[in-house]
Amino acid sequence: MIGGLPIGFAQPLVLLGLLSLPVLWWLLRLIPPRPRRIAFPPARLLFDIAPKEETPARTPWWLTALRLGLTALAIIAAAGPMWNPPVATSGGARPLALLIDDGWAAAASWDARVRTGEDILARAEADNRPVAIIPVSDAAKGIALQPTAAARIRLRQHKPKPHTIDRTEALPALARFAEATPDAEWIWLSDGIAVERGADFVTAFGRLMQGKPLTVVDGGTPAVHALAAADNAAGGLSVKVLRAQTPLNDAGVVRALDLRGLPLGEAPFSFGVSGRETEATLNLPVEIRNDIARLEIAGERSAGAVQLLDKRWRRRTIGVVTGATADTAQPLLASTFYLSRALAPFADVRLGERISPSDAVTRFLEQNVPMLILADVGNIVGTARERLVQWINDGGVLVRFAGPRLAASDDDLVPVRLRRGGRVLGGSLTWEKPQPLAAFSREGPFAGMPVPGDVVVNRQVLADPEAGLSERTWATLADGTPLVTGARRGKGMIVLFHVTADTRWSDLPLSGAFVDMLRRVVALAGTNAVEAAAAERARETLAPARVLDGFGAFTAPPATARPVPANFVQRANADHPPGFYGPPEGLLAVNTLTALDRLQPLDVSALGARTESYRLSEPLDLRGPIFLGALALLLIDALIVFWLAGGIGRLARWQRPAAVAILVVALATVLAAASLAPHHALAQAGGEDFAMKATLQTRLAYVVTGDGETDNVSKSGLAGLSLFLAQRTALEPGEPVGLDIARDELSFFPLIYWPVVPGMSKPTPQALARIDAYMKQGGTVLFDTRDAIIAPPGPGGETRSPGMTALRDILSALDIPELEPLQKDHVLTKTFFLLRDFPGRFNSGQLWVEAIPNENSDDETVNGQPQRPARGGDGVSSILITSNDLAGAWAMRPDGQQMLPMVDSEPRQREMAYRAGVNIVMYVLTGNYKADQVHVPALLERLGQ
Amino acid sequence: MALDERSSQIEQEAVRRASSASRSLAAAMPRLMLEARRIAATVVHGLHGRRRAGTGENFWQYRRFVSGEAARYVDWRRSARDDHLYVREQEWEAAHTVWIWPDRSPSMVFASPLVWETKLDRALILSFALAEILVEGGERIGIPGLMRPTASRNVIDKMAQALIHDPTARASLPPAFSPSPLSEVVMLSDFWSPIEEVKDRIAQLSGTRAHGHVVQIVDPAEEAFPYHGRIEFLEPEGLGSVTAGRAETWREDFIARVERHRAQIRAETDRLGWSFIVHRTDRPASELVLALHARMGERGDGAPGTQTPGKQMPTTGSAA
Repeated sequence: MIGGLPIGFAQPLVLLGLLSLPVLWWLLRLIPPRPRRIAFPPARLLFDIAPKEETPARTPWWLTALRLGLTALAIIAAAGPMWNPPVATSGGARPLALLIDDGWAAAASWDARVRTGEDILARAEADNRPVAIIPVSDAAKGIALQPTAAARIRLRQHKPKPHTIDRTEALPALARFAEATPDAEWIWLSDGIAVERGADFVTAFGRLMQGKPLTVVDGGTPAVHALAAADNAAGGLSVKVLRAQTPLNDAGVVRALDLRGLPLGEAPFSFGVSGRETEATLNLPVEIRNDIARLEIAGERSAGAVQLLDKRWRRRTIGVVTGATADTAQPLLASTFYLSRALAPFADVRLGERISPSDAVTRFLEQNVPMLILADVGNIVGTARERLVQWINDGGVLVRFAGPRLAASDDDLVPVRLRRGGRVLGGSLTWEKPQPLAAFSREGPFAGMPVPGDVVVNRQVLADPEAGLSERTWATLADGTPLVTGARRGKGMIVLFHVTADTRWSDLPLSGAFVDMLRRVVALAGTNAVEAAAAERARETLAPARVLDGFGAFTAPPATARPVPANFVQRANADHPPGFYGPPEGLLAVNTLTALDRLQPLDVSALGARTESYRLSEPLDLRGPIFLGALALLLIDALIVFWLAGGIGRLARWQRPAAVAILVVALATVLAAASLAPHHALAQAGGEDFAMKATLQTRLAYVVTGDGETDNVSKSGLAGLSLFLAQRTALEPGEPVGLDIARDELSFFPLIYWPVVPGMSKPTPQALARIDAYMKQGGTVLFDTRDAIIAPPGPGGETRSPGMTALRDILSALDIPELEPLQKDHVLTKTFFLLRDFPGRFNSGQLWVEAIPNENSDDETVNGQPQRPARGGDGVSSILITSNDLAGAWAMRPDGQQMLPMVDSEPRQREMAYRAGVNIVMYVLTGNYKADQVHVPALLERLGQ
Repeated sequence: MALDERSSQIEQEAVRRASSASRSLAAAMPRLMLEARRIAATVVHGLHGRRRAGTGENFWQYRRFVSGEAARYVDWRRSARDDHLYVREQEWEAAHTVWIWPDRSPSMVFASPLVWETKLDRALILSFALAEILVEGGERIGIPGLMRPTASRNVIDKMAQALIHDPTARASLPPAFSPSPLSEVVMLSDFWSPIEEVKDRIAQLSGTRAHGHVVQIVDPAEEAFPYHGRIEFLEPEGLGSVTAGRAETWREDFIARVERHRAQIRAETDRLGWSFIVHRTDRPASELVLALHARMGERGDGAPGTQTPGKQMPTTGSAA
């Protein structure tokens, strides 16, 4: 690494050659360039001339600089520069000890580590050095030197561990190995992160490595992140994102997944410039939050970047029902207020206010809350009670607080039998003093809690002394009367606080112990019988179910994984890899990091070792490009020398004809390129050429629609028809012409084929005016909507097809005469072939022509019927409309094959299509003459007479 | 002596090129006739009639047969017309011999970027053209040490053959030979040899009272010295090199040195009555041929030795 750039040299000593550059500079400046040698016959006369003062012409400084650059490049290239050079090792045959951090922190960039290790192994193999692969987690199992081939296999097979590794545990083995092989060269592929006792290890390892060659490879990989301390708070599920390296400004996304691995949500996180921890918060509904089983940092594959959540993180929804409807008059004194404040840190509280307790209970049961608190509610009556009992039997936790109503009621939804009426302590009519809280039962959920001294109970409801009362008592007052009792009912539980939830009867709601007690009670909620049984067997162990591997993926537990105690809250270790433990319904999550863990960067500066960084990409040998550059400089130098020697001038003199030739060729190329302009652009540019081309030969024309496929079919179709015409008739049309109706002159063409493309923009009014003029001047436009096959069925359906709609849109701007379907005796049917219909690719379409005016009906009538051809013969219909896709039927590929298939696969239809085309062309060219032909019988008859 | 492959190849190509180029050059030249004054009393026929009977090709006179002569001399056709025997005599004709010597030493194979032709090319073209002109004028052309004088019509081919098949080393100065007293010697070279050698050779050749022309063929770069920067000048004939650190500072000295060299040569030629012409290869070759033509033809007065050579021989194309 040089100056932060990932450049290294295979032979750095060669770079000393750069020191020779000043000497070279001096020499190049001193030695004059080689003189030009010229044969000069009168040189003998020059012998007689006294030599002049020889001040040699000096090499220009820039040429010298160029040559020095060339030399420098050659020297640099010879030193073997590498982009992303592999980690350097010293040469020789000393054994190589490769210490590899293989905790979870190494997993995210494990590939880079393995690649770096393999680079080192490859070099060691070349030098034939024995290698010891020492994964820190495995060091204690013994360290042995191996041949490089075996070491490489071990390196490849080794996988990072999912837990945090205490490096100090490896120290004894390292010390033994260091003693056994004192001449080893050490390379430590570090992950740069200390979770615990990092500094101790560095100090001890530094002592071990005293005087030994040590390289620490660290950095160069993306920053390592970890998740810890997930907290399902009221606002959302928050989790701390940790990192060790501070001067990075990075960000990422925490993803939440459920037990089956389905993503539930994402939350972004970002670090400031210097922070080592930040927080990501998932704002999800509580129900969804409770399903979250796994949090992970998206894109970071390490066990540390995964936080597993079990039921302890689940947030309960607790329904609170109060019997006092008027409580809201003074909300800050209401029992609901105290309960809400006390439950808020670990549960979501829903209040059932303004409705009767029974209705509230019913509603909460419908919402399937796991825990219900009844604050001074007397009797629950009716169906609500039945459902409540059923709910408790199914596993619900009912917590009741005493109060005047409860004391007055006769309810059996309590853990112990109560005496009617309350007991007042310290009142004016009582002897007893107010009693403080004395003890928590060892068997109850409050076991182990410190007993607060500030709780004084003034009034309570008393349990009837009966057998088993002490078992059900969770907390007692100083006089031995129970304060909290609980009893199991079915799968559920009933808990009774013998005081109110507000401060009227006791100070308990004001105490911190109240929150803790509620927390523990809430923890009971949602546990069913099995869990409860498990909870009771607190010392029981849970077998691993699914554990994380080093990359943070779930795997089957390895053979070495041992069960954890049910209350295991420590950091995962080798025996207890992170993962889920226990039965599926009561999973216990063991995480890589505990809530209090923080990542610290590992400070290895005390080792005094050479530091390298990981290589993310393959080393790139720069020798080739640099030698190429030197070669280019050499070429430039040669050209300059050639130029200085006057060679260019000579070359130019010789090459002048060649240069002229090149110029001519270039000019011709430009002209040729210019001539490849689009067809109608040329037509417009050379209007005269276009006119000559259009008139010297009769040509069929089509309208360029802008739709490439349609235009191609039109062109090929007209070409095919032209061929057919040339074969069958006296007409030999030229190549068809594509027309831009907005610009090209139309009057040269007898027939313009216009394929109508639905959806294309309507021609401009100017273009339509030109079309109108063309039709008025005797031209014929053949519109083809080409959609007879997709026309809606039924009478008149043809006119409702999209093509017809588009055509109607066009024609609405034109002055179109009355149209009619082609009559059987129309001239068109007789102009060349005798035809009945005019098929194209489709046969169902109708050909529409200009209606023949009827006003001369008295001119010639046969049997009182107007003879259409005779009267219509004077004018050729200026418009023909079909939907049969004539051009499609005519279209031919350049090889003479038909381009498109006929809809009716009868081959004759194509022939008929061609004939229709011939008739149409003949009609437009010779319309009135052909019309006269129908007179022939009459004329002959007349002549005969 | 073995020539190295490359230089001999260069020379052969130059000869081939020059032999064709020189024909067109020679065709453009007027017929060159040397005045009769220069004709020596030699037995060899030439076009310069001596106005007396002798060996020759043209009819001179019939004379009476003198008894004792060989009967084959009798011109029987003439003798048949009367009772005497006649002998047909031709005019005594003598050809002028011109020795042309082109320098083919390595120093001649030089062309600066300013010109297209090497000096060797130019020297050979000039040699061949001159030979062609002179042969058409009836003179005999020889190459010292290489080709005996000949008046053959295809003198260029013969010269070319002789030059191509010359096995000897290419010396910078003509071999020492003895031209006949009245023959002419044309030396085409760059004359960059040391002045003593040049002087000695000219003096030796003029020792037989032969007349001569010294033509120095130079490249424009050899006069203008258009060099700058650090340059090592190599002597093409292997006599070493000299390095100029800044060639531009040498220019004036060099030009002065060339002038001095030429002045020395000129002094020698003037002393001997020879001519000295400087020809630059960036000038047309015909320029020099015309000048030589004029030189050879102008000697109408007096015998060598009595004539006064021009103090300032015009040099063709000399920039100096």
